Amino acid sequence: MIRAALILLCLAAPARAEAPLPFDLGGSFTLTDQTGTPRSEADPEGRAQLLFFGYANCLQICSAALPLMADLVDDLAGEFALRPVMITVDPARDTVEEIGPPLEYLHPDFVGLTGTKAELQVAYDAYSVEIKHIFDDPEYGPIYAHGSFIYLLDGQGAVLSLLPPILSPEQAAEILRARLAPAG
Amino acid sequence: MLLRPLAALLALAAPLHAAEGTRISVTGEIIDTWCYFSGVMGGPDAVVGSAHHTCALWCSAGGIPVGLLAEDGTVYMVLKIEGSAESAGGDTQLNLASHQIVADGMHYQRDGLNYLVVEKVVTDNDITVENHLDYGTVPPFAIPEGER
Repeated sequence: MIRAALILLCLAAPARAEAPLPFDLGGSFTLTDQTGTPRSEADPEGRAQLLFFGYANCLQICSAALPLMADLVDDLAGEFALRPVMITVDPARDTVEEIGPPLEYLHPDFVGLTGTKAELQVAYDAYSVEIKHIFDDPEYGPIYAHGSFIYLLDGQGAVLSLLPPILSPEQAAEILRARLAPAG
Repeated sequence: MLLRPLAALLALAAPLHAAEGTRISVTGEIIDTWCYFSGVMGGPDAVVGSAHHTCALWCSAGGIPVGLLAEDGTVYMVLKIEGSAESAGGDTQLNLASHQIVADGMHYQRDGLNYLVVEKVVTDNDITVENHLDYGTVPPFAIPEGER
C-alpha cells in the first residue's frame, strides 16, 4: 500500500528548481568544520547538500533526521553526489574536536560545522532557526529545541527545498531526484 | 493502514512547482506527524485526539514538526504558528497539541507536500476527538509507569 502512494508521488510532474522558494531561507555564513577548516554555505566540491541544525549527540529529532540524511547520501550515490551537513546549536559541546566522530559514525562524509556564537547566529538567522534550552538531562547534558527540517542546498549553498524529517527515505529520495535532476 | 495518511499527505498536492502562497482557512487537528505517517504507534484513527495527546507532547518537545490534519484529510506541515518560527516544541505548539483549531494562514505547496504558515488561530476548540475511550493511551508507555 505504501508503494501505491509512492507511485503517486513518482508519477507527479518533475519539479524544477527555477521557481523561487516561497520561504525566505538561506544565506551566507562562515563556520568551521571538524578538521578546523573554515567553510561557507558552498560545498568545496560543488556537491548538493543536505543541511540540518542540531547537535551531534542529540537523541531527539536529530536521531531521525541525521540517519535519514546519511541514508539518502548512500541511496542516491549512483545518481548524485550529496553532502550531509549539520550546523550545531550547541557549540559548547560541539567543538571542532568533538563534533566529528558522532556524525562520521553515521556517515564518513558528514560535515559538522561549529563556530563562535556570533558566527553561528548568522546561520541561525539565515534559516530562521530558534533555539531553546529545554532542560538538562542528568546523563546526556543540555537538551535543546531547535529547527526540525532538513534543507536541500545546491553546491553553491542556495536553498532548493526542504524535507520534513518524517518522510521515509523513499519519499525523500523522490523529492531529491526531482529537484536535482538536470533540466530538460 | 498507512495508505490513508500517505494519501492525505499527497492529497491536493499534485503540482510540484513552487507555488505562490494562497491565503486559506483550515479547520482541523494539530497532529504529531511522526506517529501519524510512520504508523509505528498505531493506525491513523488511534494516533490523534485524546488517545495520542501525551505522545504528541513528547514528539513535539522532541522536535517532530506538527501538522494540521484538515477535515478533508489533507495534512499541512506547519512551518510557523502566529509568529513563532518553531515548527515543534514551542509553547504554542505544545498548548495546541491534539486540539481542533480554525487556522487562518498562507498555504504553500512544494515537492508534493502542503505547508502552512498559521498567521492566526481563530478558534481553539481544545481536544474534540475523545478516542481514549476506544484506544486508551496510545502508546501506553507515553505515560511513565508510575503515573498511569
